[in-house]
Amino acid sequence: MLWKRQIPILIVTVVGLLTLFGWFIENETIEAFVNDDATQWYDILASFAIILGALNLLKLQGRKIIKKQQGWFYSLFAIGGFIFAMIAGFIIKGSETVNWGAHVTSKGTLFKWMFEFMFTPLSATMFALLAFFVASASYRAFRIRNFEATLLLVSGIIIMLGRVPLGSSISSWFVMYVLVLIAGIAVNVKFGNKIFTFGTVLAGVVIVTIAGMLTGWPIDQPGIFYLPILQEWIYNNPNVAGARAIMIGIGLGIFATSIRYILGIEKSYIGE
Amino acid sequence: MKYLSDLILKLGKVDRRWIFVIIALVVLLPLFFPVGLPIRPTDSTQTAYNAIDSLEPESKVLVSFEYGPSTKPEIHPMTFAVLRHLFKNDQKVYITCLWPDGQFMAEDAVEQIMENEFQLTYGEDYVLLGFRPGNEAVVKGIVSNMRKLYTTDARGNLIDEIQMMEGVNKLADFDFIFSASAGYPGTVEWVQYGADPTGIPMSTGVTSIQVNEVMPYVQSGQVNGILAGMPGAAEYEALVGKPGIGTSGMDAQSIAHLVIVLFIVFGNVAFFIERQRQKKY
Repeated sequence: MLWKRQIPILIVTVVGLLTLFGWFIENETIEAFVNDDATQWYDILASFAIILGALNLLKLQGRKIIKKQQGWFYSLFAIGGFIFAMIAGFIIKGSETVNWGAHVTSKGTLFKWMFEFMFTPLSATMFALLAFFVASASYRAFRIRNFEATLLLVSGIIIMLGRVPLGSSISSWFVMYVLVLIAGIAVNVKFGNKIFTFGTVLAGVVIVTIAGMLTGWPIDQPGIFYLPILQEWIYNNPNVAGARAIMIGIGLGIFATSIRYILGIEKSYIGE
Repeated sequence: MKYLSDLILKLGKVDRRWIFVIIALVVLLPLFFPVGLPIRPTDSTQTAYNAIDSLEPESKVLVSFEYGPSTKPEIHPMTFAVLRHLFKNDQKVYITCLWPDGQFMAEDAVEQIMENEFQLTYGEDYVLLGFRPGNEAVVKGIVSNMRKLYTTDARGNLIDEIQMMEGVNKLADFDFIFSASAGYPGTVEWVQYGADPTGIPMSTGVTSIQVNEVMPYVQSGQVNGILAGMPGAAEYEALVGKPGIGTSGMDAQSIAHLVIVLFIVFGNVAFFIERQRQKKY
């Protein structure tokens, strides 16, 4: 029990406290530990974790094949790919002129071939499929159901158009005319009166046209109707406010969890 | 009117494979027949450009590759544009990679920009230090003593024998950091563990989806500007004066975005008509 419980907790507590106080105490030994030794220990442990991860992958996928579980044939590809990568990395270089180690990224080697002609197209394909699913999902799921959904939808449209060159070619006056039409639709839905609707649209069109003629139709004025300016405002204000709130929340969460580890309250790493 | 609303409702139930075909066409066609839409640099791209442009010649710039093949179309063009800018201004470039596949991206950039385009000398104008595992621990290692972390470069040369590594022992010895990042570990880790503790100015290029996460650091001045996704790359290419993959991809992205917006609007009109009918009956 001592080796499985008390000693691991003691190691975590001591290393955690040292790393924490390393930021506040001016002591060369502690600073060297925090900045150099601890990070190198992390590197070494991370390397061992890769081995454990690889063994776990083989175990899980192998079990799936042996038990002929659903989709077991995909596991054949997973294990096949793993074995092929191991061979390309450790057994067959594919080029006599390249040294071991450098063969991973050098031209003409088996590993580089695998990366260029298997890994790259496969990952690019997976990522490219997102465009199709985003288009399909936005068509079906992006609905004006309530105020929040409308806000999200409008911001999304402004960001999507404002970020690309096409957005900077759309005049703010065009956006204003579109808004006048939307206002007409809203009036029609609310009152169901054709005269009201026509009056609203006509008044809006006249006001926008006169304002445009007086100012000379500048493409980016007034700025609040110019999509690139609007999207930058969304990025810099509501977005940053939300992102900061999330970051502060995560920071506090990390702090609380770290304290739990250091004090020995959190013991999930020893299976408790 | 009823015929029109019936048609919209019918189209609202269109098979999603038609949507896939339309998206494929609007992405492919502009790539073959470019429209040449004008590119307007945003403030954040201009800030990044100014920060790099204001560096003294022969400044030591650390460029970190934190992306792989999946995000290559977004990040690679901006990395190319930044490298072109750096070498045009005679800067010394040191390349590190926090992602294993980042090293392959770096090798590609070295071949295309350093070797083919600028014909630079390895070890004198640029060096590829390569990938090290450990995520933010690698950044911390570079901050304290990079000689412990990198005893050899990505090509197996001893660090002590590389000319441009003379006097470069830790992050504080650099003049600027540029992180080309597609996620974790990336820009955020460079800010938190590298640029902030040492005070070395940094800038970044990230995928569009990552902008939200990095924007607070840009606004606070911890990061000098940001190249946001492929539009950011196209804007930087325009500022450097050499259009590349980013610029040619902009037409396709612009039209694809417009089509997706039209899909959303169309879907909502169908939803609206359906709801009105449900209320009526």
